[in-house]
Formats: sequence, structure tokens, C-alpha cells
Amino acid sequence: LGNVKTILLTLALTGTATAQTTVEFWHSFGDAKRSGWIQARADEFNKANPGVKVVPSYKGSYNDSLQATILAARQGKAPALVQLFEVGSQLALDSGAFQPVSSIKNVDFSDYIKPVINYYTIGGKVNSLPFNSSSPVLYFNQDLMKKAGLNPKTPPTTFGGLLRACQKIEAAQLEATCFGMSLNGWFVEQWMAQQGAALLNNGNGRQGRATAANLDSAAARNIFTFFKTLQTNKYYTYTGKLEDWDGSDAIFTNQKTVFHITSTADIGNIREAAQKNGFNVGVGVLPIADGTKRNGVVIGGASLWITKSVSKPQAMGALDFALYMTNTRNMADWHKLTGYYPVRQSSIDLLRQQGWFTQSPLQLVAFNQLTKTVASPATAGGLNGAAIQTRKIIEEGIQKVLGGQSVDAAMKDTKARVDAALREYNANFK
Amino acid sequence: MLNPGRARRSAATEQNAVFRGAGLPWVFLLPSLLILAVFIYLPALQTLRLAAYRANVILGTEQFVGLANFTELLLSPAYRQVALQTLVFTVLTVSLGLLSALGLAWLASRPIRGAQTYRLLLIYPYALSPAIAGTLWLFLFNPEIGVVNQILGSLFDVRPRWLDTPLLAFGLVTLAAIWKGLAYNIVFYLASIQNLPGDVLEAAEIDGATPAQAFWRVAFPLLTPITFFLVFTNIIAALFDSFALTDILTRGGPYSGNAGATTFLVYQLYQDGFVNFKTGVAAAQAALMLALVAFITWMQFRVGERRVHYGA
Repeated sequence: LGNVKTILLTLALTGTATAQTTVEFWHSFGDAKRSGWIQARADEFNKANPGVKVVPSYKGSYNDSLQATILAARQGKAPALVQLFEVGSQLALDSGAFQPVSSIKNVDFSDYIKPVINYYTIGGKVNSLPFNSSSPVLYFNQDLMKKAGLNPKTPPTTFGGLLRACQKIEAAQLEATCFGMSLNGWFVEQWMAQQGAALLNNGNGRQGRATAANLDSAAARNIFTFFKTLQTNKYYTYTGKLEDWDGSDAIFTNQKTVFHITSTADIGNIREAAQKNGFNVGVGVLPIADGTKRNGVVIGGASLWITKSVSKPQAMGALDFALYMTNTRNMADWHKLTGYYPVRQSSIDLLRQQGWFTQSPLQLVAFNQLTKTVASPATAGGLNGAAIQTRKIIEEGIQKVLGGQSVDAAMKDTKARVDAALREYNANFK
Repeated sequence: MLNPGRARRSAATEQNAVFRGAGLPWVFLLPSLLILAVFIYLPALQTLRLAAYRANVILGTEQFVGLANFTELLLSPAYRQVALQTLVFTVLTVSLGLLSALGLAWLASRPIRGAQTYRLLLIYPYALSPAIAGTLWLFLFNPEIGVVNQILGSLFDVRPRWLDTPLLAFGLVTLAAIWKGLAYNIVFYLASIQNLPGDVLEAAEIDGATPAQAFWRVAFPLLTPITFFLVFTNIIAALFDSFALTDILTRGGPYSGNAGATTFLVYQLYQDGFVNFKTGVAAAQAALMLALVAFITWMQFRVGERRVHYGA
């Protein structure tokens, strides 16, 4: 009789459990600070919505998470909500495993910052909900600048300005190189956008599949030539490893470089490290090629995707949670915690009311850079399904220039390799 | 135990025991075969099948291309460079790694004060995971703030760019791999050296052999079985375990010629299969590596029979 009772009880319990909609949320934040924040938002949401249970879990890097989602979807066990990086957007779209968030229910996207929502709007549909977004800015060591006779109030804003500052730094014989940054294709994408130039053909891969890269353009030449000048004058240093964010940050915070470029999401960490090492850090706009209007930045970071194979209530639950997590108050909070942009205009207004920008003026530069971005296919960002590979090829091209190769040869080789990668990817659809 | 004669007899009957019928052995083998089939044979067959397709695991697309993946790989200058680099890397890590391990093990097995401590210190790097080892080396060889360049800079005023000078980066990864494998090899050599027949070495000494002669003419030939074993385990380690080290230390770079200077076969496979999602090409590479391992195994048996001196 006892057994029967247990069985009945178990049945009753599972009965209530199935009445609840479970929303699996896979993200790529392994650290306690950010994953803890996500968990706290899920707990709040679950309390307020007894019918839905959001279960966030860390699924490794964006790449691992994308692969895991696809394989799970093939077995009908896809998570409802997944955080994916921006370079994976076209690939995620082509996989057919996701549905545009704008088709789940009517959402008012007008509050989202324009350049941010533009990146994820493909073919007129908002495919994913912006979440953690950032763009690159110039960081500078104010103390070293003063030592070299430079005014930290007017940091360089162009390649030419940076190179002139480098001359002064060289003359001052500081024990530091002028400029350093992680060698990353992301910056090349930004510098193309700043010049209003699309990285890829077919409207930056947004009107049709990209079949060739505009790496033989004048805009691309400006970027490669900049690195050539840095190399011949020994104005640039990095660890030597591609995409080594931590290594480049460490070189800057150990005062071995005067200027540094990295994501706005690092403002908090770099400011802390600078304080510890006893120097004042400043933040300025991303220096761009000379003689061009400042068109603005392409958004980097990740967004929230909803899978196609889940039930309607699950998709609704996922979207509701994603909207809750990115609401005005939460995004302002997220920004203060991490340094990522709050993706809503209303969050920026809220932060301004709270006096955040007078407390941490470094952030203001980053915001202005983003909000002043001119909407165009160039600043919406290039889309291609082999973007992870093509980004690396571009890095290797710049690395060849830094290794002494001529600009012409490096550009030609890089374009040929990127075009081949695009061709190879597109062949999947024949 | 009490009756050794009976124990011996029952052992003999066990040895001569014969299964009645052909079915029973298969029943006993079934559990292992099932596990092998699910986790080894089926995936291996699936890999061979995929190698004939242009496939992308994310898109779920598959187009039959026959042997095109193989011909493209074998004709591609990038893949050839990667294969050549892997060969040089393997030869260097195996030969230098074993030589230094043997030398250190020989020294550590001498009756000296503190021999235990030396042995312990020589063996401990084995406890580090390749990922941690890679991170350590990355910190040490950071060209601007690493300890190595700070020392070199203050002593000789040189600051080599370890990670983006192709030859230096290659040398660094090779050195790191040798260092990482050293402890494993030393453990085996130490054990074998301690098991060397003392009378033979003593006889050599009495006959007036110098320490060098005693080592090369007597001890070294007696160590061939373990050297032989280590050569093959080290080849496999160089081919497959170099992955974590290169991923963390250099990410396969710097780009030089047609490929990254420290991109080896297994890293190329990882890049194509799990970063760029070119599943078909990656499967073809896996098939080529499978053939390579089959060849090495065949060599192991062939050489093993002919050349190795297994003692008295």
C-alpha cells in the first residue's frame, strides 16, 4: 500500500511539473559575476511568472554552445533560448534551427539603440534580441602621455594623429611602445565601418550572400598601410598571438604601451588594473583613417536567439524572459556591473538621471561613439556564414604586414583567402 | 596454497579449458564489443563516410564529392606545410625528448645525496595539465612583460618576439612539448635503470670500461625495450597531445608561408571541424590521421620484432 501511495504522489508531482513550461537558456558566461546576474534575473522572473520556469546554464564558448544547440535541435531537445556571438549570426540563420524573435509576437523594438538592433535585423526581421553589446575604444595612459609632452585631454582621434603622438613618444624615450592592441579582425571590421565602407559585397552580405570581400578597396588599404607604418617605425607591440585579449590588456596595464584599443566592456577591469599599477587611464574614441567622416561603429557582443523546434508556450516564455532581462532597469544594472552597453535608449536616460556619467565619465565617450553611429549597411556590420574563419584570415593578413610583408602582397593574399572561404561556404547551398 | 600440487593442476586445466560451441565466447565478448561498436567502430565508419561529402554540421548539409576532400587536402600547400611541420615537430620532440629524459634519469639514478628530491622535482611537471603548462609558458614568454624577456633584456639587451617570429614560435612550442613530456619519460627510464642487472654493469667496470663506455655499450642496449616503447608513445603524444599546448600558447600561429607555423595536423583538424565547421574536410583529415596511426602501429610491430634487444 505504501508503494501505491508513493507512485500516486510521484504522478501527482510530475503532473504539476509538466503544467509548468520549462525554458532552457544556454549562455556563455562562465564567471560568477555575470552568470550569477543571469541566474538572479531568472529567479525573479520565475517568481513573478509561476507558469514558466527559466533554467539558465553555462554551455561553454559561443562556438561550443552553437554546436550543442544545433545537435540538440536535431534530436528534438533544443534549448528555447541561446546566447550567440555576432560573428555566428549568418551561420545561425542558415542553420534553420532558430526563428526570428519578431515573428513570435509583436514587440516594440523602437527603444533599442539603433546600431545595435540594426546588426541583428536581417531581411527586415529582427532575428535575435540584443543582449551584451560593446564596441572598441582608445585607452591611454595619461601619465606616460604627459611625460612625452602630449595632452591627455586631446587624445588622438585618427591614424595620423596616433602616428604623430608615437613620434613624440619615441623622442621622449619612455620605456614603453607607443601603441598596442590584441590583433583581432574585429577591429578591421570596425575601421571599415568607420569609413562607411562595407567589408563584404552584396550590401555587406545583407542583400544576398556575400561572395567577395572588399579587401582590395581604398578603405582596406588605409588599414593595412596603418599597420605597415606602425611596423616600420616599431610603434606597435602585442604578444604575438592572435586574439590575445588578456595578453594585450596586461601589456597596457603594466605600462609597456601608451595607447591601447579594446572593447568598452573592459573599462571596469582596465581602470581597476591601472589604479593598482599607479597610473591614470583615459578613454577616447576609436582612432580612424584620416580624411574620412566618422560613420560610427559596428556592434560586437552577443544576442539572444530562440529556437524553432520548441513549443509555442516555450518560445513565448523565452521571449518574455529575454525581454524582462533586457528591460530598462535591468540593462542599466547590467551595464554598471559589466561595462557592456545597455541596449536600450531608456536605460541610457535612466543612467543619466542617476548621475552615472558624472561618476564614471570614461563611459560617456563609449556611448557617444555608439549613439552617433550613422545607419548604413557598412555600420550594420558584415554578415557571412564563414565569419569565424574569415576574421582569422584577416588577422593573419595583418600579421604578415607586421612580419615585414608589403601591403600589396598581404592585401592580395588576404582577399584571395577570404574569397575562397566564402566560396567554400556558399557551395554548401548548391 | 596449502597444497601447491593441486593448485598447479587446476591452473593447468584452466589453461587447457575449451569452450564448447562457438556461441559462448561471443556472449562473453559481447559487452566489450557493444561498447567498442557504439563508441569506436560506428563513429569511425561515420567519419569515413563523411570524408566523402562536403558537409557542415551546423547547416546539416551534405553533398557527395567522392575523393575530392582527399585530393584537395593532399594538393593544398597549406595542408602540406602543416604535415611537414608536424613531421619536424614529431622528430624533434621524440628524439630530443627521449635523449634528455634518458640523460636526466641516468644522473638522477646515481647514488648521490638528495637523489629522491631530484627525482621528485623531475617528475612533478607530469602532474600539470597541458592547458596549465601552456598558460605558464605564455606568461613566461610574453615579449613585453614576460619574465624571460625581462631577464634577457637586462642581461643582453635582447627581447626576442617569441610568439610571432615563425622559427622562434616553432622552437618554443617544441621546447614546451619536450618539457611537458619529460617527466613521463623519466619515470619509465628511472624504473628501467633501477632494474638493470647490476652484475653486467659491475663486470664492465671490472673490465676497465669508462663510465661513458659502460653507459653506451652496456646500459643503453639493455634499455632498448623501454626506449622502443617510449618512442612510439611519444610519437602518438606528439601527434595528438600537442593540441592543448599549441591552442593556448600560439593558437597555431604565427602565419607564415601558407599556414600557421605551429599548426600541426591535429590542430588543423580541430580548426576545420570545430571552429570552421567544415565537417567533411575534417573527417577526411581524421581518416588520413587514422591511416598514419595504422602505419605507425605496423612499424612498431615490424621494428619491434627485428631490432629490439630484450635481454638474456
